[in-house]
Amino acid sequence: MTGAASRRLPAQAGELVDRSRPLAFRWDGRSYVGLEGDTIVSALLACGVDVFSRSFKYSRSRGVLSASFVDPGCTVQVDDEPNVRGAHRRLAAGMDVRPQNVWPSLRFDVKTANGLVGRFLTAGFYYKTFIKPQRLWPAYQQVLSRFASGGVTSRQNAHGYYDKRYVHVDVVVAGAGPAGLAAAVAAADTGAGVLLVEEEYELGGHLRFSGEESLSTLSELRAQVAARPSIEVMTDAVVTGRYDDNWVAVLQRNVGGAIERLVKVRAGVLVAAPGLIERPYVFAGNDLPGVMLSTAVRRLVNLYAVKPGERAVVLTANADGDAAVADLTRVGVNVVRVLDGRAGETIRRATGRGRLQAVELEDGTVLPTDLLVTATGWTAPTSLINMAGDRPVWNPTAARFVPSGDGLPPTVLATGGLVGDGSTDELIAHGRAAGTLAGDRAQGRAGGGVPDLACEPHPGMFRASTHGFVDFSEDVSSKDVVAAAKEGYDSSELVKRFTTATMGPSQGKLETINTIAVLSEATGRAIEDLGTTVWRPPYAPISLGALAGRIFEPTRVSPMQGWHEGHGGVPLLAGQWIRPDHYGDAAQEARNVRENVGIIDVTPLGKLELSGPDVPRLLNLVYVNKWSKLAVGSVRYGVMCAEDGVVMDDGVTGRLDEDRYLMSTTSSGAATVWEWLENWLQTAHSDWRVHVTPVTTAYASINVAGPKSRELMQRVVEGVELSTEAFGYMQVRQGRIAGVDDCVMWRIGFTGELSYEMHVPASYGLHVWEALLQAGEDLGIRAFGVEAQRILRLEKGHLIVAQDTDGLTRAHSAGLGGMVKLDKDDFAGKPELAWHERYGLATAPRLVALQPVDATAVPPEASQIISSNGDILGRVTSSRMSPTLGHGVCLAQVDPAVAAAGTVVTIRLPGGGDIRATVQEDLAFVDPEGVRLRA
Amino acid sequence: MPDTWAPVARSAITVPGPRSVVDGWEVSTRRSSAALRLSDASPLAKVSVRADADGALADAFGVRFRSSRRRDGVLVIGSGPGEWLLVGGVGTAHQIAGQVCGLVAGDFVSVVDVTHGRALMRLTGSDASRALSKVCAVDLSDAVTPEGAAFRSSVAKVTTDVIRDDAGGGAGEPSYLLHCERSSGQYLFKCLLDAGKEFGIEPEGPGLDSTGAR
Amino acid sequence: MIRIPCPHCSARNSAEFRHVGEAAARPDPSTVTPEQWRVYLYERSNPAGWITETWFHTMGCRRFITVERHTVTNEIRSVRPAGSSGPEPAEALSGRADAGSPDAGGQA
Repeated sequence: MTGAASRRLPAQAGELVDRSRPLAFRWDGRSYVGLEGDTIVSALLACGVDVFSRSFKYSRSRGVLSASFVDPGCTVQVDDEPNVRGAHRRLAAGMDVRPQNVWPSLRFDVKTANGLVGRFLTAGFYYKTFIKPQRLWPAYQQVLSRFASGGVTSRQNAHGYYDKRYVHVDVVVAGAGPAGLAAAVAAADTGAGVLLVEEEYELGGHLRFSGEESLSTLSELRAQVAARPSIEVMTDAVVTGRYDDNWVAVLQRNVGGAIERLVKVRAGVLVAAPGLIERPYVFAGNDLPGVMLSTAVRRLVNLYAVKPGERAVVLTANADGDAAVADLTRVGVNVVRVLDGRAGETIRRATGRGRLQAVELEDGTVLPTDLLVTATGWTAPTSLINMAGDRPVWNPTAARFVPSGDGLPPTVLATGGLVGDGSTDELIAHGRAAGTLAGDRAQGRAGGGVPDLACEPHPGMFRASTHGFVDFSEDVSSKDVVAAAKEGYDSSELVKRFTTATMGPSQGKLETINTIAVLSEATGRAIEDLGTTVWRPPYAPISLGALAGRIFEPTRVSPMQGWHEGHGGVPLLAGQWIRPDHYGDAAQEARNVRENVGIIDVTPLGKLELSGPDVPRLLNLVYVNKWSKLAVGSVRYGVMCAEDGVVMDDGVTGRLDEDRYLMSTTSSGAATVWEWLENWLQTAHSDWRVHVTPVTTAYASINVAGPKSRELMQRVVEGVELSTEAFGYMQVRQGRIAGVDDCVMWRIGFTGELSYEMHVPASYGLHVWEALLQAGEDLGIRAFGVEAQRILRLEKGHLIVAQDTDGLTRAHSAGLGGMVKLDKDDFAGKPELAWHERYGLATAPRLVALQPVDATAVPPEASQIISSNGDILGRVTSSRMSPTLGHGVCLAQVDPAVAAAGTVVTIRLPGGGDIRATVQEDLAFVDPEGVRLRA
Repeated sequence: MPDTWAPVARSAITVPGPRSVVDGWEVSTRRSSAALRLSDASPLAKVSVRADADGALADAFGVRFRSSRRRDGVLVIGSGPGEWLLVGGVGTAHQIAGQVCGLVAGDFVSVVDVTHGRALMRLTGSDASRALSKVCAVDLSDAVTPEGAAFRSSVAKVTTDVIRDDAGGGAGEPSYLLHCERSSGQYLFKCLLDAGKEFGIEPEGPGLDSTGAR
Repeated sequence: MIRIPCPHCSARNSAEFRHVGEAAARPDPSTVTPEQWRVYLYERSNPAGWITETWFHTMGCRRFITVERHTVTNEIRSVRPAGSSGPEPAEALSGRADAGSPDAGGQA
């Protein structure tokens, strides 16, 4: 404890603190004790601490202003959590609370120098000063970041747990003051489901701190809410935005084990009942600790039983200010002077060193005091209805912006202080009518009317005869606004951006009206003509963690992934798939395929089962080549082009039975091809009898490759004759593998070796994989990964769509021109390919194989091929060292001028330096005749 | 080489606990009495059927898209327009497929056994809707998703068939079957366990009996 | 997030769909000129107003649907299966938030 006397008052009606539960905590390195129910700030105030931060630009001491979530001077660091709203966050035992934005300490802050030179840090200072020269920007950045507010996040922090939830509800009520509570109850009584959202920890709004009568009304309203199970209540939660189709975002704090939860609500009707926010008054010294709003005083006294000062001066222009006077008097604060704004009375300035010491009146009287309370008007937080389409208008009688009543869809209603003023009973009546209408509308009924809630007259008090702060979080003074107006920034939106007023953490809730009022004064234009700035989401700050939530990033694995992980498989993320890249030595894995036999898990290969008599028509339409004569038991390689003739996907399709086909696609193209087929079938040929069933993961796919693969297959396959005469290259069979029925196997050769690709019912994938390894042990079998496969196919000159082609590569430029059958009636991309064949071939790039002249050279993929004068003639699309041949092997897209076999091209390496490479006769480096794969 | 192979089927979902082979499937025998339970139901037979949305088969099933019903021990789910998912006892896929083909001779119907291609799990407990609503944006209220309702939507960003099947849950509590591509099964299972954490969710092995009921 | 009243599935968040784009009729490839084909490929009207567009319900029924949407207000005035014509099933539109309770439209 510090030596300061306790400012805790005796028990107050409606207090939230539990005097039987003291909580020890630390502030700025020292130990303190508060009570359960305290906020961090109320606990500190009770202990006599009243300075919580330094201001953003001038490092001025700041204390309590509003004693609510938006209080700009009460942002603190709690443990590893920065930017905690200290006037809102409940105290917890053991909290380590520290001031932030103080360097090196709260008591001694080197930036106070800024205060001395403050008159130079005028509006636009940063914009004007830190512009040139550009080369100094890194230095500027370092300086500026020291001055930027914000706490500290530790790199050692564990990731916080955040959460999301979807809610579908008839009515959302944003705000649980008297009108909001009544609206929720009334909506529930129409049969509607209701979500009631309140920013504070408990329901009631201002009824919580407005005397005994309000408390009894509140307990009645709370009982009504509690008695209705169709009302879900969220406290310490805030509606941060309203979007199209009444998509309402609610941020809920500290719930379900999560730090924050983003609740995405689809609401039938949204009732905005945010109440009113008290507006500060602008005068010299209005930011001194000890200068408070009347609602801050009433919260501190009534909710936390904290005495906010000893000698008070009060400037009041409304009933709430009068009530604050009554509260202060009741708890023994010496109210030395009450000035009545309604009678034209005001103050001139507040003075003090680091905190309030005296108030100077207009007549020059100086009153020594430690508490100055102002009650000079309200701001209606029109944020939510603004987001729903309403443009608030200035009500000069009430001296605040109010909803225009126009532009709102029928699914958004407003009630309570946001709309107008009234007694508690009138607010409740209005809320009840709005709630009934909301409930009726949400259930498809017309519903009745809502009474008017008129605004009471309020003097337009914005600024005293002196200048003070209009924006406490951004340190923008009324003088800055006047200066901005003089420089020509004479509209509210311009002044906002130039001075940054309203752009700090409280986002205009405290600052907007004063900024516009001062601008009005400076420009001579009426406030109603200047208009207010537009409120955009979010209404309250949201952490990035809450927006990200639990991260839903689906991953997919094959049935053999566990085996890969257990055998040194290095994972590779390919799209959503986690696959083994290699098991330690990709080159060795590749060599083993050429020499013995290897198996690779190719489960991610896209697979679609096509059935129906019109499948050949579909195949003819989506592939550029011909499919009418594919026999049962055969497979064919096909290329798909989009309507612009660009290669989209490739793969083989096999005819399993009369009307049953298995189509394979690239791993990355599986979803696209499925959608592409459905597109044709649904929108262009709905009369065709074809059904497409995705079976990518129904089968575990294993490619068995290598000269000894037939021998291996003979040991595990039953019921299929495997001789090359009976089961030749590009044929498909169905049978039993390692005791597993319903397997599909086809002979294709992506690796260039004799190989069988088997598709096994996925639940048996691991069984078959292990059976193959066991059966092939004496044949030298080993598993190979994606990298070995890439090497093998490159040695064989097989292209990969989207690696060796790009978004402009037509079939001919991929070396696939010979497959394009323009004599077919129609196929996707046909017109483009026909024109291309006629007019474009001479200039279109070509796919060629390159062998670097230096046998040790392996140019990185995407290296450019250049002419002698440096023009780009193409690029390397694939490149590896060939373990089989002992030199580099590449595929490249090149200009036709250098595409002829034997041409020596220059490859410019990304890191600098050129190498030379020779264009090859054939795309294949290994076995161009295809003897091995046809074995 | 073994003279006879002994193939063992494995679900895409790994449930902790003791394992044993039941009906040819290696499964966890873990059971849970927690208030909210997530069980792997992948071994059940799953058959995908395509036919005219309003044709003879639809009439024979008596089930349209977005609804489901049990017929002769098989749960018939209207999983898409002109698309049905049939769920039955372990090892009955061929039998189910045969029955479907016999229902309407002559119509254009496709029947594909997707038992091994999909993962199936069941979420049961009084908080099942609350847990599911953390990862699924569809309204799960009784008014919109009553007993027997089926829909396909994003669950934790995985395309998933969801069937409200309290009857199959067997505990007189809300129960949902969730059906997705096999390769996403383990991911989805984990996501649901995470979503159910605040309700004390526990995983369990397949409670194997016909129609997906426990 | 706007909702698309899918004629098959009822109203769903637009994130479940892929926005295919403004509906464009495919010209007859046997008679088409390069100009006409490239209009089909690339030219879209991009109005600030009503547009007829195709959406694909990727994570739902996997059907292509034709939607008339106002690009300024996001109001949707009709939906129907792509490749079909005629009025949309009234059931799906009644599920819109502005017209009643969310995700209304009971079982088929």
